[in-house]
Amino acid sequence: MTETGLQDLVRGSLDHCVKCTICETACPVSNVTPLFPGPKYVGPQAERFRVGDEPSVEWSVDYCSGCGICTQVCPQEVKIAEINAHARGKLKRQEGVPLRDRIITRPTVLGRLGTPVAPVANLALRLRPARILAEKLLSVHRDAPVPKFAGHRFSRWARKRTSPKSERRIVYFHGCGTEYYEPWEGQKVVAVLEHNGYEVEVPKQDCCGLPLQSSGLFDDARKVVLRLARALAPYVRDGNTIIVGNATSCTLMLKREAREILGLEDDPDLKLVSERTYDICELLDELHDRGELRTDFQPVPETIAYHAPCQQQGHWIGKPALELFRLIPELEVREMTARCCGIAGTYGLKAEKYEIAMDVGRPLFEQVGASGATTVACDSETCRWQITHATDRPSVHPIDLLHRAYGL
Amino acid sequence: MRGELHFDVVVIGVGTAGLTAGTRLAEGGARVCVVAKGVGSTHLAPGTIDVLGYGPDRVEQPARALQELIAAQPEHPYSLLGAERVEEALEWFRATAAGGPFEGYTYLGGLDRNHLLPTAVGVLRPSALIPETMAAGDGESRVCVVGTPPLRDFHASLCAANLFQAGVPARSVQLKVEGQRADANALGLARTFDDAQRRAAFCADLSLHLRGEDRVGLPAVLGLDDPHGVWRDLEHRLGRPVFEIPTLPPSVPGMRLFEILRSAFRRAGGRLVLGSEVVAAERSDARVTAVRARAAGGEMRYVAPWIVLASGGFASGAIELDSRWVTSDRVLGLPLHGVPEAGQPRFVEPYLGDHPMARAGVAVDGELRAEGCENVLVVGASLPGAEPWREGSGEGIALASGFRAAEVVLSSERAAAEAPA
Amino acid sequence: MVTLRTDVLVIGGGATGAGVAWDAALRGLDVVLAERKDLAEGTSGRFHGLVHSGGRYAVKDPRAAEECVAENRVLRNIAADTLEDTGGFFVTTPWDDPVYADRFAEGCLATGVQCEEISPAQALREEPRLNPDISRVFRVPDANVDVWKLVWALARGAATRGAQVLPYHAVVAIDREGDEVTGARLRDARTGEETVVRARVTVNAAGAWAGQLAALAGIDDVRILPGRGIMIAMNHRLVNTVVNRCQMPTDGDIIVPVRTVCVIGTTDQHTDDPDDHTVLESEVDQMLDDGEKLVPGFRRARALRVWTGVRPLFEDVKADGTLTRDVTRSHTLLDHSHRDGVGRFLTITGGKLTTFRLMAEHTVDAVCRALSEDRPCTTTAEPLPGSEERRHYNLGERLGRKEARLADEQLICDCEMVSRSALEDGIRRRATTNLDDIRRLLRLGMGPCQGGFCMYRATGVLHGLDGMTSQQANGALLDFLQERWKGIRPVLYGDQLRQARLDDWIFQGTLDVGHLST
Repeated sequence: MTETGLQDLVRGSLDHCVKCTICETACPVSNVTPLFPGPKYVGPQAERFRVGDEPSVEWSVDYCSGCGICTQVCPQEVKIAEINAHARGKLKRQEGVPLRDRIITRPTVLGRLGTPVAPVANLALRLRPARILAEKLLSVHRDAPVPKFAGHRFSRWARKRTSPKSERRIVYFHGCGTEYYEPWEGQKVVAVLEHNGYEVEVPKQDCCGLPLQSSGLFDDARKVVLRLARALAPYVRDGNTIIVGNATSCTLMLKREAREILGLEDDPDLKLVSERTYDICELLDELHDRGELRTDFQPVPETIAYHAPCQQQGHWIGKPALELFRLIPELEVREMTARCCGIAGTYGLKAEKYEIAMDVGRPLFEQVGASGATTVACDSETCRWQITHATDRPSVHPIDLLHRAYGL
Repeated sequence: MRGELHFDVVVIGVGTAGLTAGTRLAEGGARVCVVAKGVGSTHLAPGTIDVLGYGPDRVEQPARALQELIAAQPEHPYSLLGAERVEEALEWFRATAAGGPFEGYTYLGGLDRNHLLPTAVGVLRPSALIPETMAAGDGESRVCVVGTPPLRDFHASLCAANLFQAGVPARSVQLKVEGQRADANALGLARTFDDAQRRAAFCADLSLHLRGEDRVGLPAVLGLDDPHGVWRDLEHRLGRPVFEIPTLPPSVPGMRLFEILRSAFRRAGGRLVLGSEVVAAERSDARVTAVRARAAGGEMRYVAPWIVLASGGFASGAIELDSRWVTSDRVLGLPLHGVPEAGQPRFVEPYLGDHPMARAGVAVDGELRAEGCENVLVVGASLPGAEPWREGSGEGIALASGFRAAEVVLSSERAAAEAPA
Repeated sequence: MVTLRTDVLVIGGGATGAGVAWDAALRGLDVVLAERKDLAEGTSGRFHGLVHSGGRYAVKDPRAAEECVAENRVLRNIAADTLEDTGGFFVTTPWDDPVYADRFAEGCLATGVQCEEISPAQALREEPRLNPDISRVFRVPDANVDVWKLVWALARGAATRGAQVLPYHAVVAIDREGDEVTGARLRDARTGEETVVRARVTVNAAGAWAGQLAALAGIDDVRILPGRGIMIAMNHRLVNTVVNRCQMPTDGDIIVPVRTVCVIGTTDQHTDDPDDHTVLESEVDQMLDDGEKLVPGFRRARALRVWTGVRPLFEDVKADGTLTRDVTRSHTLLDHSHRDGVGRFLTITGGKLTTFRLMAEHTVDAVCRALSEDRPCTTTAEPLPGSEERRHYNLGERLGRKEARLADEQLICDCEMVSRSALEDGIRRRATTNLDDIRRLLRLGMGPCQGGFCMYRATGVLHGLDGMTSQQANGALLDFLQERWKGIRPVLYGDQLRQARLDDWIFQGTLDVGHLST
């Protein structure tokens, strides 16, 4: 299917909209700011007024954070978030994309630049004057939760070791967050997988292109995600090996967003990769269902809060992390029901959107505060940084709890 | 196929019927997964539990009218369920609400007598079990109906004018609520009412407009987080009974109802998968052995010995009438009942008439088991034989059928466990 | 009872009648325009609103094609704001005779229809929903027109020049003195009040009802053959270009994007009654099949509503067996003084929407002859009110307007983006409490939910503004719901059935309108 063909499949889904307003009740952005009129408006409603080649007349569509909650709750199968994404892409093609958006959407570039000079870079990013300057020059909000460079890359650690051989093989898609900012997360993921008898290979890999897509830079996003697909596809052609990731936004990009939003439905490598990509909690939950998950968990006597990121919920498999937590003795888990932390990838970093993002996340931050939890578990690194920034509580990937409970 | 998970019961649909069945099953010890393509019926419905409002005349005493309906319409879901089950389901729901996430928020009423509550257009509508926040709407004393611009989904003057025609001494007042967007909906206003300071300011203004009225009616915006607290506070500040009037979606009382059922379900250990549409059933003779549902990157297989189909009937597209006038169950492909014959009218000319197609649903036996499928139970709007909005019976059917389905499954499992090896 | 004296009484408020009123008023004549219902409620408002490039007639009726070519250009000039320049395609599908395409090209060349052959690949790039098996495509300058906007602009234009526009005034009698028509007696359908109009010339522009009207003047042999056809509006623009089948004109051979929907039509059922609104299931089925030929997947797309229009087909065979049709025109102007010995009475019939201005010109020329006055026509140059800037309508307009006032403006109809201020203005300006009139004017309730959400809101606004009684408001709401149901019921399948069930939930469940007192 051509891009325009797919666009019509997405656009055609607007026919299912019965204007019920359920998406509007769930949209975390329109509920806190009048700048975003809401998913029903920007999606199936406005789409009827859009003519393919005529110029876009809407600035409000840029305030959609791309969280995808609308599509998730829609009872009529309207691809609301995807319609919005297409409209934003068109707007960006027309308006042009600011320098800031070109920079912050390339974590690989930033990572490569920042890693060798991590201590200096990290210091600079924490110095108020430098942040104010960055806000003026690049429109990255001075208070936005930018991560710290780890100073060493996960892939370097991975290259220096060999995984014990096994029939059960996994290709690890670690994502940019693990690579440049949290390589220890990757080590934990590998440890847990190997503990469960998997051989873990870490191929050369790059960004999934999600930040580029969210900012409407569709052509660049396509190049990047296809490059990744080409890198990963050969590993899974055997029909046995699977791809596992711990960054739920990135695995979602591979599973469906790249195909639906960028119109790459026809690419065979991406199709194969999408079918063989799993989130780590998803995989372990299915293992447990089969009775194959090692359950030699030591007690973890703690109370944690769990927030499922919007793009984890967008996998449409429920919240497998919660099921895994149940296996850990003495672990008390409070499921956060507030919708969204607000960061939405790079959305909450932007000067004009930071306050909105903080307003979006406020119900969650308050729930965390009231929960009595010492730590917040959350599957997405950008969400973790936002939550820690707003609540002062440490935030970890769910796999950390399993790693700890396994005693690894 | 991406992967599969095993459960004791898979419930398809997360409306009132699905959540009732799921919660009762989980409370009974079953491992339950509710799979749904989205959130639905609760958010759109007024938030009352209507058992029987019109039979076709206005029903004063639902218990008696139920018996009459069961005698007259053997194909109606209530006939399969029986009046006692309806009673039990209501009891359970009332207890669940009282023990739910909203401190102090209770449902009042039962099968003895329908309440008569004003609708947003000023008709007095019969309802069996209602949130306490609406109860003062049932009465004949003087009422001031308050419009809250910019809320465009509620028109107090029309409501009051029609109430007046119906013999209720009513007048209306408009009081702007500050800080709202132009396209504010009920949810936006409910958030304002959740805020104590803004509530106090609103009440101070409103008090100046009240005259001799004995009660005050507002649109259904009395808070999302703490409806009991908000309502009590309003009554205290205004010095008289206050009630909320359900209006166009989004329904705030409906959202509360959802949260009551959802949290009961989760507390009982149930698993919830949203955004996942069931697209196919795997069959083996007279059983559905698994269902396949959409997930990102492919389909998931949910395997269970029992399936509860709470898919929502025509309104959700679960039962479809296509452009060639062929009706089908899109979810599991089960046979339907009550579909008008070819050449017979599907819908009649008068809009408010009784439309034959509206009563079509998935064919079931006396225990709600789908025809030809011993392990699939059908509940809620997918059942044939009812016209929930004309009768005022939707939530009653949903609660009672969900309750019954759970009972069928649990007692079958118990019987199987106790049977000699 | 009121008596009005005027130069020209125009009976019939469709495009033709309104066009005559505009033309006559521009020429300085006094005009009264009488329409028995709402303007454009008849045939004009019931077709797809296509402004022909002429391609449709290039082979079958070259004279009509030439007229369309000329008038298309004129309308773009004088009625720019009512037109959307969608462009059109003529496509050869696997069901069409491929030879016709060449005849089509020749016919366009001969009649001056601007026509450019493009590759099917190019057409599919522009319109991805088109049937990929089309073999030939021609691009033509078809456009769509918002008929209500057009007719109201004509009426407003005439009114600012002194014309009296009287909707909801039915003719109860045509007055004669001897062998001359002297005017008519009208009754206001809303109030029952009678108005007598004394006119120097009376023009019968009653379209499909022209025969009935002529009979009131004692002329029994103006035989209009009503041809009833259905149109189906699809929920969104499956195509943004008018798509025509490249073959001899037949049923279901065109899809017209108009505003937020696209319309497929039409069928041809003979009927005796111009008020016949029957929709046959077989007609619906036929249109859906025809739609599927042009746009695969048409049957899975959402149909919003179906309505009927009655074309006035006129073939005048006089008692002596001779055709009276003017062979140089595609419409017919009957001067009854010559034809029937009844003076000061003209009937204008036939033609098409695209050529209404030309029809009006010829009519008013005949009026001037009847009055022995020399007043030249100026309608080719004079822009209609609202079209002075000569800017075409663009679909994104309402969206852009709302964006500009995002935080301040409240929408009453979300689907069609009708703001509260537009609704209140519309109610005041039209002085109407009929929600169906407002629907036509503003497109309120014409989107996917067909009034499901906005009708309660609009009724509330109406009740608040107008000092209506609640009985009146209830009646307006229930009438609207019934009227809407008429259009939905024959195409109630698929997504629209889901919508209808939700709307029933709201109206019969939550609001319980079934028990409103009336």
